[in-house]
Amino acid sequence: MSRVFFIIIGALLASSVQAGGNADKGKQKAAQVCAACHGPDGNKPSAPDQPVLAGQYYDYLVRALGDYKNGRRNNAIMKGFAGQLSKQDIEDLAAWFSSQTITALHDQR
Amino acid sequence: MAHPVFTALLAAAFALGSSAALAQGKPKPAADKTAAVQESRPAITNEALPVENFHAQCIGCHGIPGYKTAFPEVYHVPKIAGQQPGYIVAALKAYKSGERSHPSMRGIAASLNEEQMKALAEYYGAPAK
Repeated sequence: MSRVFFIIIGALLASSVQAGGNADKGKQKAAQVCAACHGPDGNKPSAPDQPVLAGQYYDYLVRALGDYKNGRRNNAIMKGFAGQLSKQDIEDLAAWFSSQTITALHDQR
Repeated sequence: MAHPVFTALLAAAFALGSSAALAQGKPKPAADKTAAVQESRPAITNEALPVENFHAQCIGCHGIPGYKTAFPEVYHVPKIAGQQPGYIVAALKAYKSGERSHPSMRGIAASLNEEQMKALAEYYGAPAK
């Protein structure tokens, strides 16, 4: 009986990790959509006013992309890119960029 | 108690305001007094203060690794140390203009002039040591 519970809980945990974004799928999507400006790993912005994404918090990235998509953050360029992303795409991309360990971002301030 | 520079600036602003009132030859209504106080604010912020004097308002949230917002929704406060200075300035300007909506950041960015935004961006944009 208890074994069944563990299996159910395990399955729920596994599915919640999946719902939190798949970094491998995010990597593929990033190569198509984000890499030209932010770099494939989110660590090589092509212009000074573009942010480093590598190592940024997952939930902040999800929020930022959602805000661009729904117009709460009003940036013409990012609205164009985020607008074509599904909720799953956004979570995958956030999983990819947030899991990058080589990044300019740090905790020393 | 009050900083001497601040006091001097306030006195200067007051003197300017009252001389303007005298020049007009009539007492200023209350609304103009408020305007005079508001005009004195940029004069204070334009002082060449070292960045340490005003990045204090950032560290309470951005200086704590893993810290989360409490309002209006809960998520991690973004990492800004090591971020591109140009992006930090752009973000602060977007908060100041209302293009970005986070209430705390709107309030803080509204109090910064461009010079201070640049100084903060350079401070936070510095690479890890």
